[in-house]
Amino acid sequence: MLDVGRHPNIKLLAYSELERLEGDAGNFTATIRRKARYVDEDKCTGCGACAQVCPTPVLDLYNEGHAERKAIYSWFAQGIPSTHAIDPDHCRVLNGKKCGICQKKCEAGAIDFDQTDVIIDLPVAAVVVATGYDVFDPSRMPEYRYNQLDNVITAMEFERFLSASGPTAGHIYRPSDRKVTATIAELEKKVKKSQKALDRFEKTHGKKSDEFYAAYTDGSLKPGEDLEKDQDKWAKRVEAHLENANPLAVLKEKAKGFTTAKKIAFIQCVGSRDLRFYPFCSGYCCMHSIKEAIIAHEHDNDTHTVIFGMDIRAVGKGFEEYKIRGGNNSNISYKRSRVAEITRNPDECPVLIYEDTREQKIQRQAFDLVVLATACGPVKGAQKIADTLGIDLDRFGFFKTDPSNPLDTSRDGIYVCGCAHSPMDIPESVAQASSAAARAAQTVIKKNDQKAS
Amino acid sequence: MTKDILVLGGGIAGIQSSLDLAEMGFKVHLVESLPSIGGKMAQLDKTFPTNDCAI
Repeated sequence: MLDVGRHPNIKLLAYSELERLEGDAGNFTATIRRKARYVDEDKCTGCGACAQVCPTPVLDLYNEGHAERKAIYSWFAQGIPSTHAIDPDHCRVLNGKKCGICQKKCEAGAIDFDQTDVIIDLPVAAVVVATGYDVFDPSRMPEYRYNQLDNVITAMEFERFLSASGPTAGHIYRPSDRKVTATIAELEKKVKKSQKALDRFEKTHGKKSDEFYAAYTDGSLKPGEDLEKDQDKWAKRVEAHLENANPLAVLKEKAKGFTTAKKIAFIQCVGSRDLRFYPFCSGYCCMHSIKEAIIAHEHDNDTHTVIFGMDIRAVGKGFEEYKIRGGNNSNISYKRSRVAEITRNPDECPVLIYEDTREQKIQRQAFDLVVLATACGPVKGAQKIADTLGIDLDRFGFFKTDPSNPLDTSRDGIYVCGCAHSPMDIPESVAQASSAAARAAQTVIKKNDQKAS
Repeated sequence: MTKDILVLGGGIAGIQSSLDLAEMGFKVHLVESLPSIGGKMAQLDKTFPTNDCAI
């Protein structure tokens, strides 16, 4: 990534979109919309002082919604370019409210709320399409209750939990437990505030609030001039305090039992090899699940993992050995089965109901956490990209190619690689990207030679 | 006549294509819709089968 930012031959147009492509191979004109960042790319040093002071929290999609970022943000810490951007949907200033704290804080003077989109025309000879993929939305499968059960997450969410730079700093805390912890923090704040008010009464009257309240409710309060004036107010404050303090005590007791997830299930082929959604195999998910299970075990040696799948497709150099190593060294068991449904038991543990095809029995098993190995599908907006480029999609929504020229799209001079082509893993994407680069180079050289002769 | 090449998408495939073309001596315009390049791979912690760091 860093090399891209530094290479003299690469002009990086981040936060930009292709609007139009006209002309023919060797002589295209691409119209690019450079979206307004509201931050001057030449001035911003990426120091992040603006994000520290920004008062508006926004769900962080880079962390799959399990953390918060600010309305002025960099997509992720090591992002290239490191220039920050302002989210126009959430920024207070851009929504007509008073703010501008970031502008005052920025020493480089990079923040410019008046910036607008810039349209540029680029003459190009060839195009490489590497627009990637989108992960299947598991809420389309109601039997897995992804939206209802906190502890059923996608593989990408689990990946963020595993990451040292992720929302849990690499510890696998269950989402349901994190919710409770967040509620405790919120209640603690409220209780601290209401306790302060009670402290004032206690100081004035030299009495503990609980003693006072007990006497107040059973009517045994001794008459006293000062107290009579204050007693209703004080009682109301005590009631308001207890409203938060009681549930806080219950939650704190519950939180004592929280540990990281030790029993983890992976469900393979969520959305793929399924005639209701994508009939094809996504190719990388089996290995992806094994990798996540191995890393979870590296983080905590007490972790036990079960991978539920029709079969484990470890096709690739060193992949089968990796799978066996995981089974031998990382407490992973592979269960040939198809999970029919996920329910929940009272302590928020998801319960899997599945048919064990070897035993020929219907089984139920509870886990701390369930990870759905979600399918690789065409990117949202693939149709729009195809229309803009004037190329065809195949029946699943990936860019159409010819088997004998696997990287050529239906328009001369436009090549496709990576998951925009079809689902594939990283090594395959890299190999294909180099091939697409070679095809594009061929076109440019050939067209220039034709012109010269 | 131009020799520039447009690469759409700054994920691992787009990055690799851009670097290869740039090394061949072509001018590359790399277009990414998000504020930073890296794509899905930048969200990954480690990669198989070597457990190398993704970023």
